[in-house]
Amino acid sequence: MTFSLRYTVISRKGGRSVHNLGTVFSFEVIRSLKKKSFWITAMAFPIIIVVIFAIIFFSNQATNKAAENTKNQHFNVVVTDVSGIVSPQLLKAIGATTSTDKDQGIADVAQGKIDAYFYYPADIATQKVQVYAKDVGLFDNSRYQAVASMLLQQSVARKVDAQTKAILQNTVGYDAVTYKDGSVYNGFSQIIAPGIFLVLFYILIVMFGNQMLTSTTEEKENRVIEMILTTIKARTLIIGKILSLVVLALVQVCAILAPIIIIYLLFRHQLALPNINLTNIPLDPLRIGIGAALFACSFMLFTGLLVAIGAAVPTAKEAGGFFGVVMIFLFGPLYAVTLFISAPDSTLVKVLSFFPFTAPIPLMLRNAVGNLSMPGALLGIVILAVSATIVLAIAIRLFRYGALEYSKRLSLTTIFHKKDTAIIRR
Amino acid sequence: MSTTAPTLVSIDHFRMDFGKTTVVKDLSFSVRRGETFGLLGANGSGKTTTIRALLGIYQPTGGQLLINGQPYTVDGNVKLGYLPEERGLYKKETVLSVMIYFGRLKGMSKRAAENWSRSYLERVSLLDKATTRIDRLSGGQQQKIQLGVTIMNNPELLILDEPTKGFDPVNRRLLMTIIEEHQQAGATVIFVTHQMEEVERLCDRIILLKDGTASAYGTIADVKRHYNGASLDDIFVTIYGDQSEGGAQRA
Repeated sequence: MTFSLRYTVISRKGGRSVHNLGTVFSFEVIRSLKKKSFWITAMAFPIIIVVIFAIIFFSNQATNKAAENTKNQHFNVVVTDVSGIVSPQLLKAIGATTSTDKDQGIADVAQGKIDAYFYYPADIATQKVQVYAKDVGLFDNSRYQAVASMLLQQSVARKVDAQTKAILQNTVGYDAVTYKDGSVYNGFSQIIAPGIFLVLFYILIVMFGNQMLTSTTEEKENRVIEMILTTIKARTLIIGKILSLVVLALVQVCAILAPIIIIYLLFRHQLALPNINLTNIPLDPLRIGIGAALFACSFMLFTGLLVAIGAAVPTAKEAGGFFGVVMIFLFGPLYAVTLFISAPDSTLVKVLSFFPFTAPIPLMLRNAVGNLSMPGALLGIVILAVSATIVLAIAIRLFRYGALEYSKRLSLTTIFHKKDTAIIRR
Repeated sequence: MSTTAPTLVSIDHFRMDFGKTTVVKDLSFSVRRGETFGLLGANGSGKTTTIRALLGIYQPTGGQLLINGQPYTVDGNVKLGYLPEERGLYKKETVLSVMIYFGRLKGMSKRAAENWSRSYLERVSLLDKATTRIDRLSGGQQQKIQLGVTIMNNPELLILDEPTKGFDPVNRRLLMTIIEEHQQAGATVIFVTHQMEEVERLCDRIILLKDGTASAYGTIADVKRHYNGASLDDIFVTIYGDQSEGGAQRA
């Protein structure tokens, strides 16, 4: 049997490159989408969110139930009130009796004659209220203190007017309106739209960084590199892989956001979540545009950096060792987050904002909170874009040099000293 | 094969240094269109380096390596089928997806690549493994897939670097049959090997490399005549006898 099946060959050079880019892109995307690990990673985040919401929901329910139970419980309580604050009517209402003998009260609790004994000292501002009670379990023991506290609060509340009571209980509502440049300006709501890019960047790098790092080690580990490099250009392969990572990252984001949005829409009231009216979120096109540009350049820079590291080392395992270093550069500036907001003109903030490998978080954060000037934003975008281009070019060069280094890491000498090295031509 | 056929591959004063080590000193030879050419030599003699430089994987230190009168580029002045010495496939992918991927990279449409792959898998009795992950195949089955990927674009230039290395007798026979089919279809074959029996069976001309230069070059008859009618096996021992590694490999 001979193999003479006729087929169409894409012959034009430009057409062939686009065809190969598309082929690499679709191969990488489809095989990643078929992997269980991709979906496990994608679903891990929303599952964690669901679990957290579930814990909050059930915890709230349990707390409310416990509070209700506590309110309705009648202890066999003896109280000594030296302070004179606690209302006798309240004590009567909960079935408590009073005593002046502290030692007797403690002894009665110890002997199991009564459930609890509360001792209110003369000056509760400087002395502690003492609660002695029968053990009813680690969690249920807190009910005694809750009742002792409730007696104090309600006793004081009875002595003051409604407004003083609201102040003391910190239930006064505030409606603040701030102005900037003659218009109403809500600083926090202004953060939301441009701040989304910061959150998106954080999630993508944390969840996708490792895949970026190992995307170029596979060809080496599987010894498939020679067949690949004699079939397509290294540049086509790398760009195809990066584009596929971008699309996979977007799929990941959708997989993360979809359940969160669904949970919010369906269970907002049960979870006591705030009512977010999207129409009230201010949309500043300039800040959103800057945020998008910073996000795109930052993403390309760090994708290129992680791909470059992967290309320079022989195995995925070895590549993994560098991930922590990249993360320190990237997310280390978060420790100075208050500085970015309160002192944007400080030297440290400027250095972190314009050094390419630390710039993404400070620049996106400052853009979100509104203290990044237009020249600063443009400078940041240019620095990130140029750095991304350089890093990407280095990544391709590293891939070419490291292609046949199956067992050792590339040294800087190998990469930059052409004369001493046989290099790959394309 | 006509002795007047045009040259497809020409290597002229090729030199290759790795740092201070010279692997190929000064190598010149040509391969005619439609010819089956044997590139022979002991380990370290520069065979694989020559092939890698010819295919643009290495930048030569000196000289010219041309295919169809031009340095090889993936954009294609020739339809190439290359079976490298270092072999492998995407192990966690299925047989069919890998074959279609390479077929697409070689310019085939998806349908053509799939049809070709299924026909090939049927021929090598692996059609039932089309959707099996490659790392779940035996070593011999993986070799068959590797071979299929190499020839799936009906190459006009087939470069096989130690193709029988690690092949079991069944796959070796399959390989020989496939090479003969491509010979008959007019393909040019460059065959890097230690196996003298295969060289005698398939090659029109050969070159024997030693220490980065050509020790012998010409038709098999010419080379034998030069060594007083000795067999290729004996000629190999004569040339590389002092290189135990090569002798061991050949054995």
